[in-house]
Amino acid sequence: MTRDDAIEIAARTVDLALTCGAQSAEASLSVTQRFHVEARDATVSKLERSTGSGVHLRLWKEGRRATVASTDLDREALREAIVRGLDQLGYVAQDPYAGLPDEWGMYEGDLALVDPSIAQRDDAEKVADALALERAIRAADPRIVNSSGSHYADAASTIALANSNGFRGAYVATSASRSTAPLAQMDDAKRTAHYGTAARFMRDLESVPQVATMAARRAVEMFGARKPPTMRAPVIFERDVAAAMLSDIFAAAAASHVAVGNSWLAERIGERVGSANVTIVDDGTLPGRLGSAPFDGEGVATRRTTVFEGGTLRTFLYDSYYARKLGARTTGNSTGGGIGANNFYLEPGSGSLLDLIAATSRGVLVLDTIGFATEHATGTYSRGARGFMIENGELTYPIDEFTVAGNFPDMLAALDAVANDLRFDGSTVSPSFRIADMTVSGN
Amino acid sequence: MLDHGDLTKLLQRALRYGGDHADVFCERRRVYAFRLQDGHIHDGTTSVVQGVGIRVVTGESAGYAYSDDLSFEALLRAAEAASLIARNAPAQTYGTIALQDERVAPLYDQARADHAPAIRYVDLLERADRTARAYDARIIAVNANLSDELQDVWIATSDGRFVHDHRPLVTLGVHVVASAGGDRGSGYAGDGGRTSLTYFDDHAPEMLANDAARIAATNLEAEPAPAGEMEIVVGAGGGGVLLHEAVGHGLESDFNRRGTSLYSGRVGERVASELVTIYDDGNLPEERGSVTVDDEGVPGAHKVLVERGVLRGYMQDTLNARLMGVASTGSGRRQSYRFLPQPRMCNTYMPAGESTPEEIIASTKRGLYAKSFAGGQVEISKGDFVFMVAEGYLIENGKVTAPIKNATIVGNGPDAMTKVVAVGNDARLARRHYTCGKGGQNVPVGVGMPTVKISSITVGGTGDDAG
Repeated sequence: MTRDDAIEIAARTVDLALTCGAQSAEASLSVTQRFHVEARDATVSKLERSTGSGVHLRLWKEGRRATVASTDLDREALREAIVRGLDQLGYVAQDPYAGLPDEWGMYEGDLALVDPSIAQRDDAEKVADALALERAIRAADPRIVNSSGSHYADAASTIALANSNGFRGAYVATSASRSTAPLAQMDDAKRTAHYGTAARFMRDLESVPQVATMAARRAVEMFGARKPPTMRAPVIFERDVAAAMLSDIFAAAAASHVAVGNSWLAERIGERVGSANVTIVDDGTLPGRLGSAPFDGEGVATRRTTVFEGGTLRTFLYDSYYARKLGARTTGNSTGGGIGANNFYLEPGSGSLLDLIAATSRGVLVLDTIGFATEHATGTYSRGARGFMIENGELTYPIDEFTVAGNFPDMLAALDAVANDLRFDGSTVSPSFRIADMTVSGN
Repeated sequence: MLDHGDLTKLLQRALRYGGDHADVFCERRRVYAFRLQDGHIHDGTTSVVQGVGIRVVTGESAGYAYSDDLSFEALLRAAEAASLIARNAPAQTYGTIALQDERVAPLYDQARADHAPAIRYVDLLERADRTARAYDARIIAVNANLSDELQDVWIATSDGRFVHDHRPLVTLGVHVVASAGGDRGSGYAGDGGRTSLTYFDDHAPEMLANDAARIAATNLEAEPAPAGEMEIVVGAGGGGVLLHEAVGHGLESDFNRRGTSLYSGRVGERVASELVTIYDDGNLPEERGSVTVDDEGVPGAHKVLVERGVLRGYMQDTLNARLMGVASTGSGRRQSYRFLPQPRMCNTYMPAGESTPEEIIASTKRGLYAKSFAGGQVEISKGDFVFMVAEGYLIENGKVTAPIKNATIVGNGPDAMTKVVAVGNDARLARRHYTCGKGGQNVPVGVGMPTVKISSITVGGTGDDAG
């Protein structure tokens, strides 16, 4: 579907909503072509190719809002769903902040969202990519005897948005990824690891050998792991785990959480809440990055927003609804009903992850976490973890079955070193960093 | 949705290069929901999701394509895309396909074709909100959601089966935040099932709201959890999340057929204390995880996973069952037509033992009473798991004492199951609000358990070392 066709469908859907009785309306249409291949050993175990589309509508009338979503683009089906939504809207409370955004537009620079080479790759090449990754993990170490699969996937999406104030916009964006999950076996013990790479452009993906080497190393290095002692110690979070922590920081900085009292950052604008190393930015205008787009989920131009600057909280992240409610200006973070990240990242430091380890006399390196226990209201953080014990600046032995715990206000204040290994393989990313003092629970 | 003639043509096109099996999964899902926030109805949602997923299986390989364009031309293109998996397989032809309607006795109401009048949803949410706010002056926020889903699936398979299932699912969730003097506490309660709004006549939203508010107020006063190894008593009902994570996932047949689970090849071996018996049941009337037929058209079943500590069997979908030479256990489930089915849990629970919950608490010198969990996760090959405790208390000298908050417990599945030293006589299913995620797909599930004691587990908090 061309961008013009997509805009036409979105605009017609807005008109239909107005005809049905909405006072204002917004419609977004997404059409995504997906390809995915999974290989295991020498077998192609999954091959998926599909096109999915859907329309998402927001309707307003007398300060009340309803949401309608449909994968059925047939006019009569859409009409029926809209009529239902408008009936529901009659039961919604009036809200003076509800409505379309007060500003709209597009970032005008070249965002480089489309890699034409992805569409030119034929299926055989993509299948070969996954099979090669599967061979490479098994060649990397004799203990790698099995896997949960090696993957190549790509997608091309057309996103169009129209609203009854006259906004019309559309863009096309591509993405590709490769990932693998080797299983290493030694005697009766099994160890798995996962590693992957994702980007808008094929050329920005880490190569098959790079992905295989990293995944294989992570699988075999955990043999012989034991519990660390229960202690308070510095903890280094490797970048993928660090990125997950950035997601928690994002949640606390999202105005939707702040407005309902579910954020430890509430009422702290202008305060120094982190160490001087804490500069965190949301930027939807970085060329070629996965979180970049010319406009957000409600047609507001994306931009660069510094959320934390040298430890000081400068702003929350807003869509237009919460901006009106909290007396601020939108930062272009609407997802069309919620608040989401563009490219949200911690500014990298100068040294490598190895430098961080070398500068730690006794502590823990966390390579992987499980669980999702973060209380955003208080900033309490706790995860199951695995990684390495650090003694005298060196990794001494693998550790697992332990937890790391702390709370974000203390953790950001104690974030005393940041590495230079930032990669943009998602929309919320981070370099590795160290927190000077956390609770490690083992035995 | 599609007639037998069209379905047969799609199956034939999907099998044009041959294959062991093909199926067509047609789905129409209508969701009607309201959300309450700040004391008011904040939003209403109507959604209609429909499409068709076509799968071709050859050996251990699956080709898949879906389409939400329901024109026959688009569906034929999807069948052709799915067929490609068999293009390089040894030449084989698939015989005649003759679809026969299959009827399976339904586990839930098949008659309800539409949602209720809007005012009834609004009323339930407002009752929950009023009750939670009235519970304690320190309650500062109440968020509540009520969703009513009607999912219809029509499944046609190349071995000639055609089956339809109509699955209602209502879920009411109440989240409460309490605040005082800079401290905060939150609580959640949810319930519902494969039923209709009349369920809440006997399971009043006031009960949920009171529980969510009580947990929030308790957590406001709670101390940080201790850190270190200690005894743990897991509460009846919601404690069943422990079985789901520590054992259940490891017994799904994809991991076991591929040999990536620590339970691979261990049927008949002792894997837990002999006090431990675990069932997974897709046949419990109106439970969230129940399926009249699963998403491959196979009737739901009662499965013995672990019996008195001995591993009895895995949960099977059709692909892994065929490769392992056994029958599907009706465990093939998927989030929607956009996904391949996977072997999944339905309702996982432990039957009653012989101890009273009072005896179990009284026998614990110093430990953690985990009354309910907020969720958990497991690593399949080694069995390490983690749980977040939603409502927890210290046990000191055989008595439940101070509430503690933000406890995460970590352990290892087989290790923890071997350390089960007491099983209560108070088995029950948890309230129905659990959703399980695997491989990027979410499906509704149920859990249940009696009060259970584990002799040693690591608690991760920030409080004093338990020593």
